[in-house]
Amino acid sequence: MNAKTNGEKPDLTPRRRFLANLMGGRKGKRISASNPTSVACVELIEKVGVHFPEAHTDARAMAELAAAGYEVLGFDTIMPEFSVQQEAAALGCEVNWGNDNMMPETMTHPVKSPGDVVIPDNLLEKPSIKVVLDAISLLRHEYGDRVAILGKVMGPWTICYHTVGVEDFLILVRLDPDQVRAYLEAYMPVTIAIANAQLRAGADAVVLPDHATGAMVSAGTYAEFLVPVHHRMLAQIGGPTILHICGKCLDRIPDIATEGYDGYHFEWQNDPKKAVEAAGGQVSLLGGISNIEALLQGTPDDVHRQARYNIEAGVDSIGPECAISLQTPLENLKAIIAAAEEGY
Amino acid sequence: MADFSLIAQALDQGDRDKTVALTEAALGSGANPQEIIAQGLQAGMAAVGEKFSSGEYFLPDMLMAARAMKAALEVLAPALEQTGIPTIGKVVIGTVEGDMHDIGKNVVATFLSGNGFEVFDLGLNVPAQKFIDEVKEKKADILGMSALLTTTMPVMGRVIKGLEEAGLRSSVKVVVGGAPVTQDYANYIGADGYAHDGGRAVPVCRELIGK
Repeated sequence: MNAKTNGEKPDLTPRRRFLANLMGGRKGKRISASNPTSVACVELIEKVGVHFPEAHTDARAMAELAAAGYEVLGFDTIMPEFSVQQEAAALGCEVNWGNDNMMPETMTHPVKSPGDVVIPDNLLEKPSIKVVLDAISLLRHEYGDRVAILGKVMGPWTICYHTVGVEDFLILVRLDPDQVRAYLEAYMPVTIAIANAQLRAGADAVVLPDHATGAMVSAGTYAEFLVPVHHRMLAQIGGPTILHICGKCLDRIPDIATEGYDGYHFEWQNDPKKAVEAAGGQVSLLGGISNIEALLQGTPDDVHRQARYNIEAGVDSIGPECAISLQTPLENLKAIIAAAEEGY
Repeated sequence: MADFSLIAQALDQGDRDKTVALTEAALGSGANPQEIIAQGLQAGMAAVGEKFSSGEYFLPDMLMAARAMKAALEVLAPALEQTGIPTIGKVVIGTVEGDMHDIGKNVVATFLSGNGFEVFDLGLNVPAQKFIDEVKEKKADILGMSALLTTTMPVMGRVIKGLEEAGLRSSVKVVVGGAPVTQDYANYIGADGYAHDGGRAVPVCRELIGK
């Protein structure tokens, strides 16, 4: 034991704590609490006084509401993108940006064949993309010395849900697999370009949701279509990258673990112990706390119980499993941080 | 004599063209359209539903089967109009306000139609009051609500409260579903039934109305 420190673990800043957890590095005094997806809820919105849809479309509003995840709740990360529609809007879909009680939704799916895919030359200048880049820059300037700033970009599979439509796209898995591959190939450069732009703007890491969830497609489909695409994308994304897929995914975690992601943001319905086993130390696990059972319907004690279960299971960074319900009470979110502060 | 099991098999495989061809052939050979539905299409859909629930089938398989079912029902529609369509119950169904996800709901609506329910599909992004008005107007036996987002799930609870306030709650069974919805959540908001997935929707609705 080192006499100077009495063996005490270092108290890392939120940024270092999170990045160490994400990259499989040394452990400080406690686990990081992170939010790879949105923690905006009505109580937080009212507290900060920044509302939807402005927080989706105005960089300063976006940054201010996002920062509340650190300032008010105490997360170690700041995630400024609250919707999953930014790319869809830039790629020609009509988007309803919603309000305090409704998240944005894509209203039209204009793409009917891979030949219809057009990637604008000024993709990064499109308002829905630029607003996130600007918000990341603002946050980097204000918080970059202590908090981890996260970017977010949809993967090509999720982009297809929006531009082609979920039903029309998914049925192609059976009807015309070559068309599925052609779509993924066509949209892959969009994901790469936006991820790298967010890293240049100051993101410490990017979250990459690509919703090939267990409720929708099989592990075999995941391996056939997504794995090769993710491998190639990750070779071209220049910073730490976190995959997000909701739902049951235990059957595909072994594949995810070999794709080259630094982190995988997972849901509580995949038992954290089994998820850690399936990941085999090849990818860090983040999230793990149930949005519905614990955060929305539960008490701070319920949240604490799930958080501690995750920590004991060996999950690398705890947080909500997905974008939280807008009605989630703040005290439940704060219970995540309280559980983390108890240490390993 | 038509072999209805072949129709069930074609539907199970999601082969729309084959399902339609076999349905046409059965009808041409004089088979009763209601028998074609019961022993062919419903049998096929039951198999698909079970395989989906057990994890053997996934959403693309369900979509293929629902597409085949829909096409076969269109073939049978003129004949059914002549014989009359016996219904076992009325269902008002929709995806709640703020939610634009309707695949699961569409599959369930198709399954229910094919199993003898009269289905009034309100589509997606349905305001709470619209559900309540339609339940009243159609004298629905069942209200089915779908939510695919954790952000829109609470709307289902608001509709149930609205039914109570309108004095309609005791006259209609409420069934909820959607990927993030759980049995616990269904209990929490006071729903009568919960279908874990599209494959379970038909048996749950049948049980609720005792058919």
